[in-house]
Amino acid sequence: MKYELVAGFETHIELATKTKIFCGCTTQFGGEPNTHCCPVCIGLPGTLPKLNRQVVRYGIMAGLATHGEIAEISKMDRKNYCYPDLSKAYQISQLYAPLTIGGYVELSSGKKIRLHHIHIEEDAGKLIHQHGDTYVDYNRGGVPLIEIVSEPDIRSIDEAREYVEKLQQVMRYIGISDCKMQEGSMRCDVNISVRPAGSEKLGTRTEIKNMNSINNICKAMEYEFERQVDLIESGGQVVQETLRYDDATNTTSSMRSKEDAHDYRYFRDPDLVTIHVTKDEVEEIKASLPELPTEKCKRYVDELSIPEKDAQLLTKYRNISEYFDKACKGVKSPKTVSNFIIGQIFSRVETESDKEIFDVAVSPEQLNELVKLLDSGKIRNNLAKATLEKMLDSGKGALEFISESDMGGLDENAMLELCRQAVESNAKAVEDYKNGKEKAIKALVGFVMKNSRGKADAAAAEAKIKDLIG
Amino acid sequence: MVTREDVENIALLSKLFVPEEELDSLTQSMQEIIDFADEINKAPSSDEAFDNINNLSNVFREDEVVESYNSEEILKNAPEQAENHFLVRNRE
Repeated sequence: MKYELVAGFETHIELATKTKIFCGCTTQFGGEPNTHCCPVCIGLPGTLPKLNRQVVRYGIMAGLATHGEIAEISKMDRKNYCYPDLSKAYQISQLYAPLTIGGYVELSSGKKIRLHHIHIEEDAGKLIHQHGDTYVDYNRGGVPLIEIVSEPDIRSIDEAREYVEKLQQVMRYIGISDCKMQEGSMRCDVNISVRPAGSEKLGTRTEIKNMNSINNICKAMEYEFERQVDLIESGGQVVQETLRYDDATNTTSSMRSKEDAHDYRYFRDPDLVTIHVTKDEVEEIKASLPELPTEKCKRYVDELSIPEKDAQLLTKYRNISEYFDKACKGVKSPKTVSNFIIGQIFSRVETESDKEIFDVAVSPEQLNELVKLLDSGKIRNNLAKATLEKMLDSGKGALEFISESDMGGLDENAMLELCRQAVESNAKAVEDYKNGKEKAIKALVGFVMKNSRGKADAAAAEAKIKDLIG
Repeated sequence: MVTREDVENIALLSKLFVPEEELDSLTQSMQEIIDFADEINKAPSSDEAFDNINNLSNVFREDEVVESYNSEEILKNAPEQAENHFLVRNRE
């Protein structure tokens, strides 16, 4: 029997605020243990948490960027559980009235992965288990998170990968998180089940935690899919449980025993008042958002005639797309700008993290100037390419390398003269061409291009040479 | 109705040990507490009226860093500590 995978994601993202969600302690990553703490974030009795305004703003931004509806009224709840990573024995979160509702993430196929909601909450402390005991550092306790909860709309590992990449991309675009999985500023829990292909009924799901890269998420899902299918095929039943992924062995194993079954006894946190968001505030935040990557990509394809694949590369990181937008201002052919970026510039910005920063020696304005010279026919493509290399080496503008005499096309006579010279000094190529070797003409055109310092029009030169030896 | 099982479950969730012979009396006490709190349900009002008795909403902090406490101060009341961490002993 063929089985179908069904998965939904719970994605935690650490917000890029300066301070924690309920107190003024810094959110800086790392630091000596228990030095980014105060009575509020270690939960001492008698303290009063006060919500960070920026957390609400970032949460709304996340909701708008994923096409969700912003709740006019939302509230904070207590999620009770007893574990050393929470000093208060409860986490302040949202259950009954989350900040944003619904929305979706659109995959490149056009399929929409629906979101259930996004809520804001505090992160827990860090536990280090050693010598059988637990060492607790509360620096991370109280760092603001959003949790993005999807519907079980994901049907394949590829869709899962793209969903996470798209979320990461959009959250980075709007600048609310750096979304680094390795550092834990983006963490995914995956709910996964299987069912016979074509069936509408959902199977029993398991939840996988503890994956710190997109590759690990995919590997864990592959493993868990196989495990569940094998279990069902051999007459067994999937048990609803939480699993831990171990990347060293590429397996999943049970995390919680049954008697610890979830019973969080959520209730409204009496320390925190209602969050009321007006329509005007939502409109103001919406207007402040940058153009989002999916829309940008569509615009590049539809309006600028950039091939889809290239448009995806240009929009992968916000800095690249902003560079491209600036370099395109007023040019006739955005495709030329795109080719320069994806070709020559990318070859100098190789790693993903460098691409994300996109610190290039040539400014977008300088590239714009070069492309305009090309647009106006003042210089030819090869000269532009060679010039861009020099610009990338030096950080200087195009006009530093292109003299007046390089500009403007060749006049008719000079062109004819060069073509004659080409024919005279390349007897072998002429003969090859006459003997039917079409490609030999390229050597002759190359001669003209070289000796005109790239000013000649290659197609015109080829036609003229054919006339001469024809 | 509060049952013995409820009390056992609450004890488990709270990591409290309750001796067998105290279960019945605790169940009864718990029922009395719940009954007392349930009085409020008799009040003629909607849920919303109790939601926000001070009429407060949107009490926010600005996102400005305030100096944290030093770790000695933070760990001062910890039952046990080691290497600037709170130490939780494994009791199993």
